[in-house]
Amino acid sequence: MISDSFDEVSRPSVRREAPEPSGTTARRALGYFSAVVTVTASTLLAWFVFGEWHLTDVVMVFLLGVVVVSMRFGYGPSLLAAVLSVVAFEFFFIPPLFSFAVADARHIVTFAVMFFVAFVISHLTKRVRDQTDVVRARERNTASLYAASREIGLAYSREALLAASARHAREMFRAGVAVLLPGANERLQVVLADDQATGASGEEMAVAAEWMWQNERISGGEMSPATSTRPLLLPLRGSRGRVGVLAFLPTDTSNVVDRDGRALLEAFAALVGSALERTMLADEARMATLRAETEALRNALLSSVSHDLRTPLGVVTGVTSALLDRAPKDEETRRLLLTTAHDEALRLSQLVRNLLDMTRVDAGALSVRKELQPLEEVIGAALTRLEHRLRDREVGTDIPEDLPLAPFDSILIEQVLINLLENAAKYTPPGTAIDVAVRLYEGIVQIEVADRGPGVAKEDVERVFDKFYRAREREGGGVGLGLTICRGVVLAHGGRIWAEDRAGGGASSRFTLPLDETRDPRGTPVDRAAEGGTS
Amino acid sequence: MSDHQRLVLVVDDEAQMRTFVRIALEAYGYQALEAPTAAEGIRQAAAHMPDLVLLDLGLPDADGGEVTRRIREWSNLPILIISARGTEASKVRALDEGADDYITKPFGAAELMARIRVALRKAGPAREVPAEVVHVGNDIRIDLARHLVVVRGKEVHLAPIEYKILATLVRHSGRVATHQQLIENVWGPGQAQQVQTLRVYMTQLRHKLERQPARPRYLLTETGIGYRLRLEV
Repeated sequence: MISDSFDEVSRPSVRREAPEPSGTTARRALGYFSAVVTVTASTLLAWFVFGEWHLTDVVMVFLLGVVVVSMRFGYGPSLLAAVLSVVAFEFFFIPPLFSFAVADARHIVTFAVMFFVAFVISHLTKRVRDQTDVVRARERNTASLYAASREIGLAYSREALLAASARHAREMFRAGVAVLLPGANERLQVVLADDQATGASGEEMAVAAEWMWQNERISGGEMSPATSTRPLLLPLRGSRGRVGVLAFLPTDTSNVVDRDGRALLEAFAALVGSALERTMLADEARMATLRAETEALRNALLSSVSHDLRTPLGVVTGVTSALLDRAPKDEETRRLLLTTAHDEALRLSQLVRNLLDMTRVDAGALSVRKELQPLEEVIGAALTRLEHRLRDREVGTDIPEDLPLAPFDSILIEQVLINLLENAAKYTPPGTAIDVAVRLYEGIVQIEVADRGPGVAKEDVERVFDKFYRAREREGGGVGLGLTICRGVVLAHGGRIWAEDRAGGGASSRFTLPLDETRDPRGTPVDRAAEGGTS
Repeated sequence: MSDHQRLVLVVDDEAQMRTFVRIALEAYGYQALEAPTAAEGIRQAAAHMPDLVLLDLGLPDADGGEVTRRIREWSNLPILIISARGTEASKVRALDEGADDYITKPFGAAELMARIRVALRKAGPAREVPAEVVHVGNDIRIDLARHLVVVRGKEVHLAPIEYKILATLVRHSGRVATHQQLIENVWGPGQAQQVQTLRVYMTQLRHKLERQPARPRYLLTETGIGYRLRLEV
């Protein structure tokens, strides 16, 4: 902070706020020493002009010395200079010279006046200096409070705010700081604490803070000694009431004791209090928005799901009741009915599977367990799982031989590939080819699932991966969740997913995975990523 | 299999599921026993010595790993796990505790019977004396005595680790082998080998044995669990 160096260099003797003891002694000694030196210098100067000048001028030289000492070194040294000046004046310049004897009684009055003037000079200078000090200290406090308010006001999160508060508290008051906020059931919890606030003293502090929180009093006492290890507790207040407790843990050099220090402390507490309240309100607003969005989403999901569940359930119920009621005579009809029910049951099963995946992706509970592994293996696993579904199709794979291992969660990426392949199978005529290709680029790998179907309409390119979006209504099953799940998973891996028209006809779904694990921190919260482009 | 009806114990807490499995089993000529809890399952397994146990992982009184461990204390009978999707960790636990294979709900009767046949094969005479020559589909012939692998009529040279992996999969004869089981079999117990290394060797093996390594017919990946060598396609 600015004031520190300023203080030490230019005004060494004036550290009003709890200066270090050893430094003070040295500085004080220097002051008195300087007083002696200055008086000696005054004496020498006066000696040279003595005889030519009037005795009054000699007095002026000594008074000048006292002024210099009082301006430069403070009250004590200037008093010493005043006494020494009178003594030196008497000894060197009053006949009989070089003796403390006084020949003329008039000179006694001269000494008295001289001492009185020197004393008044010392005193006045001291007052001016004191006032300057106060103004400077206030200026410094204002500046540091301003710096603190700017940083604390700009803090975007509660954590950043608390960290900034702690740093400024340390700089401004040379005290450790702890912040206690009410947690569940209105009990205070330490959300930020310096080292001093741990252990036994921390416990004591927590108890005291809890007591204060319940009784709304300032503890720590008025003007408790600076060396006290007792924490000073202040309530944090916002515009709508109290928000928590701020605890100062003084060190030996803390400066929270005098009136200005106390006022600054309270201003600081008010600043932190209102900033905390602001972040709390912002959090509340964000939660409210989130709840509203979740509610809207749940409604959309519910209506969509109930529609999609009703159809296959209706078929299964109808077919089985028909079989129970009056079993058809011919084997062929019976088989047709059973096949229909079976197909619909499978559709239901897939729908439920997607719904479960979706809740996992949506709740942000999707933990991505990345392991380095070959992409070829997961592609093979997905194709094996869909063997039955794709049996009438030609599936081409184009995977470079020198493909490096990629970091990904095999279970999740397998699901992405399955969803993309199922989607391709669903929207293309039976028997058309599906191609899976992998391309290696700088730092990323791109996986493509392409078909020779009707392709993607321009207006759908952006939307196919949105929640509940189905390119062609009334075709196929599912709530349109499959691709949204893909998006959630790929984003959680730090990749990108999109669809485009394929050259030569058909659609191409592509996604990328970063190869460099350090670029993408583990466990990116999926909900935020997944919601990013949808709303 | 013809001289006596095979006995299968179905341990599942859902009555509907037990009924479906029992009807399916009886349709394929098996005899079925039912147990709704883990405790009852363990008791019946000890009392009736079934040829195979079908064990649901979502039992209310104990988890499948625990039941498997208890049965394995005194019997080597085949245990086939029935599980829902997304429970890889508990599946792997049960498999590492000694369960033989797993099947994921929902499954069809034919699929279940295929798995039961594979699991029962372990208990058959073939287990004691492994066949000298194992045929995998029509493409691969593995001569265990001479450490010889012939793929589509051509002898293929395998690195020692690759051969050990393949031999372990052959020993599991169609049943899944977990990552841990493979690592212990190939590198020895207590070896801190990474699954990543195993995956790299598997990829090499596929490139040597499969016609389309990215669309394997025999060396199948059970994502999150392990590998399976499919003997018949």
